Order: sequence, then C-alpha cells, then structure tokens
Amino acid sequence: MKELLQLAWDVLLFRHETYARHVARTDALKRGLTLLVLVTLLAGVVSLVVNVVGDLRPMSIEARHQEAEQGIQEFIRSLGSMQQFFDLPPGFEREMRAYMQAGIGIGFDIEDLPTRLPKPVGRVLRDLGAFLSLPFSRLAGWMGYALWVLLVAKLLGGRATVPQMLGATALYAVPHILDILGFVDCLGPTLGLVATVWGIAIYVKALSVANDFSIGRAITATVVPTLVGAALALLGLLALLIIGLASG
Amino acid sequence: MKALIRLAWKALFLSEAPYAEMHNDSNPMLHGLVLVVLVALAVALAGLVGTALEWATTPNLSDIQGVMLEGIQQMPWYQELQNDPEFRETFRQQYKLWWRIFPSLFGAPNITQAAMNIILMPLGLGLVWLLYGVVAYLFARLMGGQGSLPQTLGCTALAAAPQLLNLVTFLPYVAVGGVVGAWTLLCRYVALKTCHRLTGGRALAATLLPYIAFLVLASFIACLGSAAAALIFGGGTSQ
Repeated sequence: MKELLQLAWDVLLFRHETYARHVARTDALKRGLTLLVLVTLLAGVVSLVVNVVGDLRPMSIEARHQEAEQGIQEFIRSLGSMQQFFDLPPGFEREMRAYMQAGIGIGFDIEDLPTRLPKPVGRVLRDLGAFLSLPFSRLAGWMGYALWVLLVAKLLGGRATVPQMLGATALYAVPHILDILGFVDCLGPTLGLVATVWGIAIYVKALSVANDFSIGRAITATVVPTLVGAALALLGLLALLIIGLASG
Repeated sequence: MKALIRLAWKALFLSEAPYAEMHNDSNPMLHGLVLVVLVALAVALAGLVGTALEWATTPNLSDIQGVMLEGIQQMPWYQELQNDPEFRETFRQQYKLWWRIFPSLFGAPNITQAAMNIILMPLGLGLVWLLYGVVAYLFARLMGGQGSLPQTLGCTALAAAPQLLNLVTFLPYVAVGGVVGAWTLLCRYVALKTCHRLTGGRALAATLLPYIAFLVLASFIACLGSAAAALIFGGGTSQ
C-alpha cells in the first residue's frame, strides 16, 4: 500500500523515472488498475456516506413534499429565464407545474409501497450499488478510449505492449482523488476541472513514456480519437440535415 | 479447476504467459470449454443472488402498475379525454401492453429469468466462444497464424475472463456496463497474437475481422428478414 501511495505521489509530480519504472514492470496493468479503482472508490466514499445517512434519516411527508416543491419551483424559474429564447405558449408554466406535481406524487406513492425486505435495507443496497458502479463506469470510459489511442500510437510508431499502455494510462485517474470534494458547491466543480486537466497531462506523459516517443506524438495520439469522433458526429449530423432537407 | 480459474485471473491482466500456457496445454479445447462453463455458471449464480435481493427490495410490479394508473388518471389530459369510451378502452389496452414490455427493458428484477440463466448463460457464452473461436481461427490462419483450432479455442476461452467482473452483481443495483466487452476484445487480441505468433497488426486484424463478419451477416439477415416481412405483410394488406 505504501508503495502504491508513493507511486501515486510521484505520478502527480510527473517524475519521469517513476513512470519508466512503472511501465517496465510485468504487473504494470495490475498496479495501474488497482490505483484507478482505489482512487475512484475513495473519491466516492463521502458521497456514499452522505447518501446513506440521508436515506436512513426519517423524513416527514411534509418535508419530502416541501423538498420536491422547491425543486419544481427552481425548474419553473429556469423555464422563465428561457422564455426570452423560446416562444413558450401561454399557460405552459402552469401546465408544466401541474404535470411535475402529478409525476412527483406518483413517485411518492410508489416509494410508499411495501417491499419484502425492510425499506432501509433497499436504500442502503441502492447507494452501495451506485458506489460500486463508479469504478466500472470509469474503467469502461478509460478502456474504450485507450483502445483507439493504442491504435493511433501504434500508427505513430509507438512501442508499448497492450498491458504497458493500459498500465501507464490508468495513472490518469490519480488526480481524480480531488473528486472527493465534488459535493461542495463551487469548490467541487473547480477541483473536478483541475483533476481533469491534471489527468490529461498525466495521460500524455504516461503515453509518451510507455511508447518511448515524444510528448508531441503523445498529444497527437491522445487527441486524434476525439477529433475523429467529433468529425464523424458532425458528418452524421450533416448527413441527417441533408436527408431532412431532401425529404422536405 | 482451481488452476483454470487462476489461469483466467492471470489472463485478465493481458500478459502473454497464461495464453502461452493454454496454447501448450495437453487438451486446450476441453479445458477452454470447462473454463467458459465455470465462469458462466459463477456469473449466473451471482446474478441470481443479486436479482433476488433486488426483487426483495422493490415493491411488487403490479402494485406499481396500479399506482401509476391512478396517478395518470388524475392528470388533466386524461380527465379531458376520459369521457370518450373508445379512448378509455384503447388506453387500457396500450397500458397493459406497455407493462408487458417495459419492465424487462428497464431491468425490473425477474427471478425466473435469473434462474434460467444458470442454464442459458453457459449455453450462450459457450456458443459465442465456439463461433468466435472458429471464425477467428480461420482469419488468423489467413493472416499466417500457426496455431491449431483446439489451441485457438483454448486461448480464446481465456478471453472469457473479463466476465468474472460480473461476479460483483451478487450485490443488487451494481452496473458493470461496457467494460466487459472492451476488456474481452483486448483479451482476444492477446489470445490470438500469442496462440498464432502473429505480429500486432495481423493479430488486430484477426481479432476484429470476426466482429465485422458477424456484423455483416447480422445486417444481411436483418435485411432479408425485413424484406420477407414486407413481402408477407405487404401481400396481406393488398388482398
């Protein structure tokens, strides 16, 4: 554990020897994955505690309705600010409020239905499930993207093996420990942005070390899949637009 | 059995050693089949436990259906239309139909289905393993590969290792998502590269070409199916 913490610290400080030693190890992927999973779980642990405590706290019916009503009011206010951009029909806000209230009423009625196990068990299991899903969601995004980066890196003359490449790029998750404060207003999103930029910089550095090529090539390999994806999405939209115009 | 699971665990981390070990095994195809069935059984059993827990912490579906119907019937648009008996009857039928389709689409816990997976999952995973293994073997040989069919099947069976991630579904509400698919693809790449001693590019082609072949085949069958349906139903309405 101490070794992993040292690795994480050195990664954050962009120490070249640490990256090189990590990539050269036979268990680089295992270590990278362990760090990624641990960081993601640690970052989510505060939210888990907050959610579990919130779900186990008995809440009166009035308080629940008040909370829901506040949510509706906020949404209606945001609708009002959008009115200058969209031509909303008269009475739209009133109707929207009525439907939202009806929908929330259905939600409360379903929430009050009996379950076979006590309700708090279900709530805690739901929170735990969402918490344990976090690493899988991060793994899916990272691995899916890494496949394309791997392909571009190979085309650019990269020499990393698949485990080396994945083991190195998994280190990008380390700064996301800052997501632990994600629930704090204003500070949370700011730290999230810092972690994202820091993570991208680590990704590029790790890619460069693993493939034994320049930072310039590493940036290219990192960016090209996004650019190709964006270009394809744009082309798709354009094609849809042309089809729509052609069909009248 | 223990050795096989240990081999699958090592294979998960994409090192070539476990794949080479399977390649040199005395009976790679049989051991591959045993591994695939074991993994599928373990995942299905974990899924059954998770589904049972989810079912026990979810209200009865028919109760939810009743509550939603009551809520909808109190909405202004329904009140406006409820005097039309034709609307009421159509709505009742459509509502019943939705409730037959949507719960399974949105992952409502179904214990019968989860129990059936104990049989269906080994069959499904086994079939996918066999189909992919045979087609990948053909493409790998086309690319100059040197492995035999049993060796290919043994090595690609190790690519079922990412399915082990699904074991976490013994806890309800955990979503494993797309990581298994991406990881399996990588394992298959390492499996074919090691088994057939291919270069990176050729191994990549041998890994991806079966996917493309299945996609083309599926599209062809879908086109054929819709053409046949158009012929049948088109003919039916014109009569």
